[in-house]
Amino acid sequence: MKKGIGIALVALIATVAAASAQGAHRQLQAASAAGLSCKSTLEIPFVTPLTGGAGFLGQDQLTWAKYAVATLAPQMGLKIKLLQGDTPVEQGATPATTLAQKYIADPKVIAILGPSTSGAVAASSASYFQAHLAHVSPSATRTDLTYTVNGQREGTPAFFRDVPADNIQGPTDAAYMVKTLKVKKVVVFDFQEPYSQGLAAAVQSYLQAHNVTVIRQSAPNTTTDFSSYVTKVPNDADVVFFPTQQPPAAQTFAEQLVEQGKKAIMFSGDGSDTPAQYNKPGGYVSVFAPDISGIPADKDILAGWKKANPGKALDAFGPPTYGAVDILLTAIKNACTTGHGTVSRADVLHAVKHVKIANWILGGSFKFSTKTNDPLNAKFYIFQIQKDGSYKLVA
Amino acid sequence: MSDLTPGDPNAPALPEAEGPAVGRDEWVARHGERRLARGGRLGEMEQRLRAVPWWAFLILFLAVASLMPAVEASGYVRRVGFDTAIFMLLALGLNVVVGWGGLLDLGYIAFFGIGAYAYAIFSSDKFGIHLPTIVAIPAITILGALIGLLVGLPSRRLSGDYLAIVTLFFLELFETVMLNGNQIFGHNITGGANGILNVDPLSFFGHTLPVQHQGIFAVSYYYVALAVFAVVFVALRFANLSRIGRSWRSLREDPLAAEVMGMPVNWLKLTAFATGAAVAALTGTIETSLTGSVFPLNFSPTVLITIYAMVILGGSGSQAGVVLGAILVNVLLQVLENPDQARVLFYLLIVVGVLAAFRLTRRLAVLAVETIVLGFVIHAIVSAVHPSWATEGHSGFSGLMSHWVLVPSTLTPWVGQVAYGVLIASVLGITLLRGWARVIALPPVLYLAAFVWENLMIPNPGPTRYIVLGLLLIVLVIARPNGLLGERRVEIV
Amino acid sequence: MPTFLQLTLDALTLGSVYALVALGYSLVYGVLKLLNFAHGDVVMVGSFIGYGALQALGGSANPAVPVWLLLVLITLAAMAGCAVLGVAIERCAYRPLRNAPRIVPLISALGVSFFLANSMQLLFGAQQRDYQSYLLSGGSLYFRGFDVDTVHVPLLRIITISSAFVLMVILWFMVNKTRTGRAMRATSFDGEAAAMMGIDVDRVIVFTFILGSALAGAAGVLLGLRIPTFTAIGFTLGLKGFTAAVIGGIGSIPGAMVGGLLLGAAESYTAGYWTTSWSDLVVFSILITFMIFRPQGLLGREDIRKV
Repeated sequence: MKKGIGIALVALIATVAAASAQGAHRQLQAASAAGLSCKSTLEIPFVTPLTGGAGFLGQDQLTWAKYAVATLAPQMGLKIKLLQGDTPVEQGATPATTLAQKYIADPKVIAILGPSTSGAVAASSASYFQAHLAHVSPSATRTDLTYTVNGQREGTPAFFRDVPADNIQGPTDAAYMVKTLKVKKVVVFDFQEPYSQGLAAAVQSYLQAHNVTVIRQSAPNTTTDFSSYVTKVPNDADVVFFPTQQPPAAQTFAEQLVEQGKKAIMFSGDGSDTPAQYNKPGGYVSVFAPDISGIPADKDILAGWKKANPGKALDAFGPPTYGAVDILLTAIKNACTTGHGTVSRADVLHAVKHVKIANWILGGSFKFSTKTNDPLNAKFYIFQIQKDGSYKLVA
Repeated sequence: MSDLTPGDPNAPALPEAEGPAVGRDEWVARHGERRLARGGRLGEMEQRLRAVPWWAFLILFLAVASLMPAVEASGYVRRVGFDTAIFMLLALGLNVVVGWGGLLDLGYIAFFGIGAYAYAIFSSDKFGIHLPTIVAIPAITILGALIGLLVGLPSRRLSGDYLAIVTLFFLELFETVMLNGNQIFGHNITGGANGILNVDPLSFFGHTLPVQHQGIFAVSYYYVALAVFAVVFVALRFANLSRIGRSWRSLREDPLAAEVMGMPVNWLKLTAFATGAAVAALTGTIETSLTGSVFPLNFSPTVLITIYAMVILGGSGSQAGVVLGAILVNVLLQVLENPDQARVLFYLLIVVGVLAAFRLTRRLAVLAVETIVLGFVIHAIVSAVHPSWATEGHSGFSGLMSHWVLVPSTLTPWVGQVAYGVLIASVLGITLLRGWARVIALPPVLYLAAFVWENLMIPNPGPTRYIVLGLLLIVLVIARPNGLLGERRVEIV
Repeated sequence: MPTFLQLTLDALTLGSVYALVALGYSLVYGVLKLLNFAHGDVVMVGSFIGYGALQALGGSANPAVPVWLLLVLITLAAMAGCAVLGVAIERCAYRPLRNAPRIVPLISALGVSFFLANSMQLLFGAQQRDYQSYLLSGGSLYFRGFDVDTVHVPLLRIITISSAFVLMVILWFMVNKTRTGRAMRATSFDGEAAAMMGIDVDRVIVFTFILGSALAGAAGVLLGLRIPTFTAIGFTLGLKGFTAAVIGGIGSIPGAMVGGLLLGAAESYTAGYWTTSWSDLVVFSILITFMIFRPQGLLGREDIRKV
């Protein structure tokens, strides 16, 4: 008797499994083709690390994203709800793929802001592409997301970013070091994560091609005490290339360099661009945009953001997030106009590619390059930290 | 004398004996069990449930799980279902090592990683090797078992806490090697921080299972995971019922006595390690075949702690328990990501907690009335004085609750922080009160908790998830130290 | 090539902080046989309390009191705050589980660890906080000091190493020369016998937690003075403290001190003489081998199990 019930249940499971696989297939096809009314509330999830070691980056970007949605959406006549998806870097790729499934299944989601980390983009871009969801990242700078490197391209045509890739920053920095600083010996660091490893590799190859001695060092990303690393910096090294994404780490390293009497100058990437936290005089920082507090057109935006976020400091990752929201909303608005009041994911994806923004928050106007989904004519600016801790543009 | 031995009705009738029959008196021997068993209706229910064979539960569970995709077609739910199945498998494996073997293995997740990386290396474009799934999965499972044996070797000389630290070191070692694996003597073996991508999906006899269709997760992987889960569950169950399972039990209860009785204690420990490692490696292959990539940070201590939480919450030593624990914890973490669902969950938890603490008594009624009235009174006063401090929504559950809880339109940061601090202090204070004092003091604390939840915690789902998990761990572990379904004590020497 | 002296200085600096953390672990393990995984997060809270006290007293740029007084005050604030935290944790999360199987309080400790780290993040955000001790009195903490051979020993490191040493001496004194200390040692040797001899075990345990957590608070401030702190450091710190305690012999106070220094030395020398990216690997391999051949640690008692 019990055996009979068992067998019957197994048979039931098998039939149900087969049936559900069929039915779900049909249902899914229907869902993705539908269009949404431009007057309804559309959802844009922001996929970024909100907890864990890189949580501070995501939290900061979040303030700008919220501010952008709150100010720009009413201006464009859109109703946008910002969702939050947390991809802590300690958990690898799994949160990114799970969140991708969640947002693909949500019919009100029209486009994605982010993912902020290159790893998350690599893991989820294929899914978004197949679901026709445009995803614009304010900070994923790994080169092979939009370029084909070693026969491999990790991003898909649905992936866009509004900051230049690492393959521009590396040579720019290295060229400055060679031409202006006239270096002979450079220590190059990486932090065992994709951002710094990409930059370090690019800088190293440029320097070595120009006959500069390069010494490589690698520190875990969570290092905060650099004493042993500083000890190994040779006394005659000219520059230490330190592409960290944690400005306090750069500050600590700079202080410990002084403490141990080394004369090397520090050179950091855009990850360290936070004058409030990294302000040791003499160092250099390369950033993909001039400081927006120096751009007159952004005065109101900055004032508004400061009012909404009292006590928070301006840093590198926030304004591109604002810009990415700008891109998405502009694309949605354009798609709504051409679609006469209805918009679908595929429409937005198409519109993003052709977005043109006149008052770009990072200065000038914005357009995507036609060859890759990177900003057109992106370049990096080099700042030197002055005696009073402020950043001054030098190149 | 025969009425003292009820036992199995099919047993042959016992011959009459003179004097006490030592060792055959089951009814007396079961005295302890009867004392601990619950009385009344609940006790009867428990007895009836106990009589149902375990595989009936398993089949029922599988049936419900299989029906789930039919009910909910969203790729997200399936993905969560797949993740839950993976966690259930990992919990089963850890249960073997910790629950049955009594060995504190803090490096368990490394075997998961070994399985994942091995599959990625042998079935991807990385080195051009594309082993067919039929070969790869069993091979990697055996590899996991072998490495488990290796790692278990130190356990011969170490016990308890020392074993814990050595296994934890092994985990850190594994992470370091994987993270730096792109520089091993100049060869890029593990891809370093960038991991390995473009891993093959599962393929059986030449027929590849596609991972997704139009971006939506394919349901076939969910069924594969369920099938593997069923097989592993049954296999482990039989292992537990067999001689080796009994040896593990005696090893766990008292290793010294086991050794003295002549059991090969070292060998038993090794087999426990190896079995757990094999299950973890197998799980790693399936997970990687779906995600198509592997990164070193997927195997961090956070995941390890989550799995431990599942095992302990569910009741280590009990397979059904750890499965239940896995489902609860995973679903909890997912639910807390979504503000609306998190809100419902919070109020549900409060209600359940209060019910469990006060049962259906007069005190409960007084408490409920007091809380609700207090809330409305405060809300009314505040909205009369400062309307912007008490906004009201209209739709759904959140709209309903916003008539009771204060939801200011803008919250100055320090208010939230101070409220949180005061909440913690008052909760600690409440534990010091007793009786009616507690009942009277509780409503303001509950209201404050609702305020903090609504305004500070829901807008920040990231840390809130883990705060809730942490609190749940503490509370549940104190209330039921043996876990939800655990019956046996687990003693680590 | 880095000098041996510089690396030794690094070892001492790192090691003294690890020793303080390890002491907290050892003390609690001695009386409760519990591995307090939340200890690392108590250190983190201590560093944040120190930061808060620093800001309250004017911040690094314009301290309201002389620098030495400032440092003493923030350390005391952190120690007091962490002591209260430790007592609260013991009361709520560990005391109800006194008689449970050993793995259960471990899970409770993990829950506390999750709760602490994420609550701090919820309240104060995830970004790093820098004490900016470089600014304190115009950099004198970095510039003043003495020179040994070619190596400059800045005032900051002298403060770190000597404060840790002083605290350890005070602790040794309290444990070995006072009555409560004797009660503590008795409880850690044999809890049941101690209770039967009339020792109030509950009070002893609270006292132990106060001591251990106060040390953790001090460690947090000493750490924060040199490097930026953030809410996620608890786990790694706890791991290192735990390692140091076990190497030295868990349950043994001089063992914790020695273990801390050894761990600092292992990290510093392998990073200095070997390649830095594999230094973690080397440290862990050394430690595993060490544990296999001497599981009770350097100064620990061999576990004799009576049947």
